[in-house]
Amino acid sequence: MFDSLEVFRMAEGLARHAAARQSVVARNIANVNTPGYRQRDIASFAEVYRPAEADAPMRRTRPGHLAAADGLTLPRQQVVAEARAAPNGNSVSLETEIVKSAELRQQHEMALSIYRSALSVLRTSLGRQ
Amino acid sequence: MSDLIRTMALSASGMRAQSARLGHVAENIANADTPGYRRKLVSFEAVAGQGNAGGEVRTGPVRLDRSELPEIFDPANPLSDDRGLYRGSNVDLLVEIADARQAQRSYEANLKMFDQARQMTSSLFELLRR
Repeated sequence: MFDSLEVFRMAEGLARHAAARQSVVARNIANVNTPGYRQRDIASFAEVYRPAEADAPMRRTRPGHLAAADGLTLPRQQVVAEARAAPNGNSVSLETEIVKSAELRQQHEMALSIYRSALSVLRTSLGRQ
Repeated sequence: MSDLIRTMALSASGMRAQSARLGHVAENIANADTPGYRRKLVSFEAVAGQGNAGGEVRTGPVRLDRSELPEIFDPANPLSDDRGLYRGSNVDLLVEIADARQAQRSYEANLKMFDQARQMTSSLFELLRR
């Protein structure tokens, strides 16, 4: 039932996207001193999320997308071409990554709050507390 | 959730690498006055993996700095030759302190990522409650 209710699918997709992007940020920060390492990122949630359409089949618009049963295709990590490289080839900016992780924290919290409140609405409609 | 566990593994590898780096900096500083000591350099490399896998950082082999050892004038030293010079170490304290500062900053950033992943995981578990 939770798969067919759009609010639950979207909240779950948002939380999973935040977790996936957090993993990429952690990878960048772990390699902040590695020579030749280029900063990576994944596509934003708005780009990868597809709402459920009853009669539309699953489409893969890019070969990098994995077909998933739910609305979220897990995006591949892409090297960020705009990031400027230091003389040793490293293009990770610590400040950018930390700010990104703060945003992801909020995104994750928002997804869980939406999920929790939708769950309580469901409970109320069932007549339970 | 496996993404969050992967985040913790990535951050742990970063912390391990930075503390190894700090260990070598401490060795260099301790041996700043040792005659003939060459400072140790440690390089970082990213573990290769397919697609989204891999990315952990690990320390490569320890190398010695091959720059020339300075000659120090001290005739009283038993190691000095007939001109009163002996070879010191090529450790520059300013470089080592700056290196230690950067290692500390990177370590704290990795620790922050680890902590954030841990908090996100426990927020997820909070959903189960009530």
